[in-house]
Amino acid sequence: MSADVELSDVSVTFGSFYAAKNVNVKVNGGEFFSFLGPSGCGKTTLLRAISGFQEPSEGKVLIDNKDMSGIGPNKRPTALIFQNLALFPLMSVSENIAFSLEVRGVSKEERKKRADELLELIALEGQGDKKVHQLSGGQKQRVAIARALAVEPKVLLLDEPLSALDLKLRQRMRTELREIQKRVNITFIYITHDQGEALTMSDRIAVMNEGELEQIGKCDEVYNNPLTPFVATFVGENNPLYGKVTGIEGDKAKIETADGQYLATMNESKKLNIGDESIAFVRPESLFIPRDSDNFDNKIDVNIESFEFEGNLKNFYASLKSGAKIKFSVPNAIDTSSITSGSSIVLGFESSKSVILPKASLAID
Amino acid sequence: MMGIYIFIFFAYLFGPLIIMSITAFNSAEFPSITPWECFSFRWFNEGKIAYDGQHLAGLLSDWRLHDGIISSLIIGAGVVTLSVPIGMAAAIVLTQVRSQLRDIYYSISIMPVLFPGVIIGISTVVLWDRIAGLGGEGFIADIGRNGIFLTILAQTCFISTYCFLIFVARLQRFDQTQEEAALDLGASQTQVFFKILVPYLSPAIASAAVIAFLFSFENYNTTVFSILSDQTLTTVIASKVRLGISPALSALALTIIALTIIAAVTYEVLRRRAEKRYAESQEKFVKEKAADNRINKKYKVGFKIPKGITAILLIVVFVTYGATQIVKNDLYGQSCIDAADKEKKSKFLEQLQTLESNELTDEELSGGSLGGNQDYGDIFGDPSLFQDFGGFD
Amino acid sequence: MNNFLFTQPFFKKNGKAVAIYFLVAIIFWFVFLVIIPQFYMLDLSFRTNVPPLARGGPEDYYTFEHYSHFIFGSKTATDAFNFVDLGVFGRTIFVSMLVTIANLLFCYPIAFYIAKIANPSTARLLIVSLIIPFWINELLRSFALRILFANEGVINNFLTGVGILDQGILFITYDIGLYTGLIYAYILLMMFPLYNAIESLDINQIEAAKDLGSSSFRTHWRIVIPHAKPGIVSGCTMVFMLTVGALATPVVLSSPNTLWFPQLIYQWFNMNDNWSRGSAYSIILLIVSVIFVLTMMRIFKVRIGEIIK
Repeated sequence: MSADVELSDVSVTFGSFYAAKNVNVKVNGGEFFSFLGPSGCGKTTLLRAISGFQEPSEGKVLIDNKDMSGIGPNKRPTALIFQNLALFPLMSVSENIAFSLEVRGVSKEERKKRADELLELIALEGQGDKKVHQLSGGQKQRVAIARALAVEPKVLLLDEPLSALDLKLRQRMRTELREIQKRVNITFIYITHDQGEALTMSDRIAVMNEGELEQIGKCDEVYNNPLTPFVATFVGENNPLYGKVTGIEGDKAKIETADGQYLATMNESKKLNIGDESIAFVRPESLFIPRDSDNFDNKIDVNIESFEFEGNLKNFYASLKSGAKIKFSVPNAIDTSSITSGSSIVLGFESSKSVILPKASLAID
Repeated sequence: MMGIYIFIFFAYLFGPLIIMSITAFNSAEFPSITPWECFSFRWFNEGKIAYDGQHLAGLLSDWRLHDGIISSLIIGAGVVTLSVPIGMAAAIVLTQVRSQLRDIYYSISIMPVLFPGVIIGISTVVLWDRIAGLGGEGFIADIGRNGIFLTILAQTCFISTYCFLIFVARLQRFDQTQEEAALDLGASQTQVFFKILVPYLSPAIASAAVIAFLFSFENYNTTVFSILSDQTLTTVIASKVRLGISPALSALALTIIALTIIAAVTYEVLRRRAEKRYAESQEKFVKEKAADNRINKKYKVGFKIPKGITAILLIVVFVTYGATQIVKNDLYGQSCIDAADKEKKSKFLEQLQTLESNELTDEELSGGSLGGNQDYGDIFGDPSLFQDFGGFD
Repeated sequence: MNNFLFTQPFFKKNGKAVAIYFLVAIIFWFVFLVIIPQFYMLDLSFRTNVPPLARGGPEDYYTFEHYSHFIFGSKTATDAFNFVDLGVFGRTIFVSMLVTIANLLFCYPIAFYIAKIANPSTARLLIVSLIIPFWINELLRSFALRILFANEGVINNFLTGVGILDQGILFITYDIGLYTGLIYAYILLMMFPLYNAIESLDINQIEAAKDLGSSSFRTHWRIVIPHAKPGIVSGCTMVFMLTVGALATPVVLSSPNTLWFPQLIYQWFNMNDNWSRGSAYSIILLIVSVIFVLTMMRIFKVRIGEIIK
């Protein structure tokens, strides 16, 4: 059983500080939905509003179209996985998992049965009698999930549960989480500041900044068509090219920068006019070293400053005439041994791979 | 240098206690070592009737002491049942009051331990005397003038603070998300309290109970006021000490010391065992996880002679020496005691006659250069003093 | 319960039953055990001493007589001031301060040794050995000293027996026994705060100071003592307060000619049955205690929470 979760005009204030401001979002039943944003952007506050630990100052939280105001966290069909997991250290693994049944007065045998089922689900059969401190990081993670699932919640809320794990384990747990979600088929709402995590697991993501929603959409949509300079630079990497709009042709706009003119694609909802201060974005992997046959609609002169080897990619850091910096990446399969620090080259990129947006602050500022 | 200083320091801490313990086994009426009369357990048992006819009760035969212990136990139990819940409630609420009020709240909570104990005793007594006076003849008047009830209240006043501090220390390490997790899993607030918070606090509850009981059991400053006409162990001891010091008190002290040491050692052993068990389970877990043998290598297990052994050897030597001396000089057993008593009694009678013939006044007997009434007991307790009385001729 | 007092709504946060238990326990403690008795005692200290039946009658009125008695003596006295009581009071405070300082000096080297020099097992052994005497009744510990210091006590018997002295020293009469006993009584309350404070100092700081050429004395003066300041203040406060308010040790060890201030209170209260005057003297003792704590907090700039942990 899964349920829709709807935040309708939700604001949460602490004194005069807006932790979340006028958030409107609808998460569909059975969806894996992520809130992505830097720390302090209000995503945890939203999660606490959904789970019932934080009453919204304004607006409503609806779960299954039912207004949740005044309903405590212990009465909501949600289960929360805490950042530090909050497993009960004095209880065994089985007792942890069956805790929600214990407080509902379920009989001992029933509890044992359910705990065993869940232990099987998380591949920890026969380890129910262990104490929590005897588990490894990944095992604790899975126990926390099992404990949350024991209530058969309609919505599972996850507050950066992977942040304490090391890289390899984190990557494995991503897949595992996704699989568990498919198996139990309930709504997952996931919170993270790690865009890689959000993009790999989620059906849809919502990007947040300073308490406000910047953009909601499918992963590739958000990545390819960011709505704001913040999203453009927070989700993945992006090179900003600052300038003024000098011409518009259909959905393309011409931008005049200190280093020349470029053509970039406008977003449907963010139309620009001639003379507007704007930024064109081009991702490192969309910048190419043109071969003879190539004919890019944008060309850019750069001076290589340094480069680094990342394995599958080689990253180059270069400067433009005006002093602006730019980064581009070349797959390792391409031979780039002739390009070293100090060499001047020309790069090209397609206008369809570049987004132009009204000027606003970036995520890296 | 440091070693010598530490030795002196610990000699200062333990020396008096050790000497006191030894005097418990000397059959003489005055607790002493050097005029060693006989080795005996009489002060632990029935005590004795002194040669001057004074009855000196031993531990077993002293009903006032027994009554005192019983009321001390009752008071201790009462204080534990009141102060542990109070301390716990106050400590939990401390985590919930607004930060602006926290300092004030904390200050009020610890105020009672900053009050001198006598003041807490006095204020409780005066208040309840007033309440009893207002209440007429009924139940309130009875409890308002009941020393045990008042002592429980007075001691609870400041012992709650010690409990409070123990709980605060434990709560500081409490992860509050556990409460939220339990709530989120459907527990009610009451269930969170009983299933999460109380189990977490249970070690603190145990130590608070022990501390509360011990503080109550050994309190004097407050109790001496609030106990009114009743007696507790400490007030009995105090009145005994004031009347004159008896080896029966040494025997009592030694009993308490022995119980304390046994409790301390048991606690230490239990704690180490628990620690070891935890360490083992952790180690086992690490070994299970790490397949390679780097961690599995055996630690060198060496036999080391603990430094404490020298101290133990020293004690053994002393005890053996003392025991051989006692045996060699036949300073033990009933025959020795009888002989000593007989000798003293005859001497006493002799002196009594001398005194009568000299018509010595009471004043000279009790006063003089030897100080006031507090030393009265010393004079009577000390056999050698009577030998000097010959000088009055 | 409103949000003015608590971070979260009190009843909702704790559940009704538990919230009621909390409130009852705390109010019972604060109001009935702490606040009302103290205020009633304060009230009584300003009233005439009348038998219970005459309370509320014409004989029972507000007066400063008990406080003025403390300073000027009884109305019939010839002296300008109550030298006896003031003397007891002054001596109690002065000796308490000396006892506090002596405790600090005695404990510092040991605390430092246990915290930073001794290996862990020795340290633990020493700590357990420190705790054991602490659990033995204050009266009995004083009694142990009494056995040593009595005029015909172990020390005097030994000294005269060996032939060093012809006559015993009057330890009790000269209050040597009392001072030793007062230092003995609360020495551990100095030791543990000191130990805890020094223990938390990073050993690297001491080594860094030594490495930079600091003498051992300077290292203590500039590094260890400043770090241990809260512990020092805490220990000094506890020892002073307990010594000033001590009753058990003076009862056993003070000479018959001298009194300790709480003994004076005891006399007014129990022997002379003058509860009002006993209350007034208690209030004076309480004021001294409060002033001492506030002064320590002000001088050393520590918060009350650091003094008592």
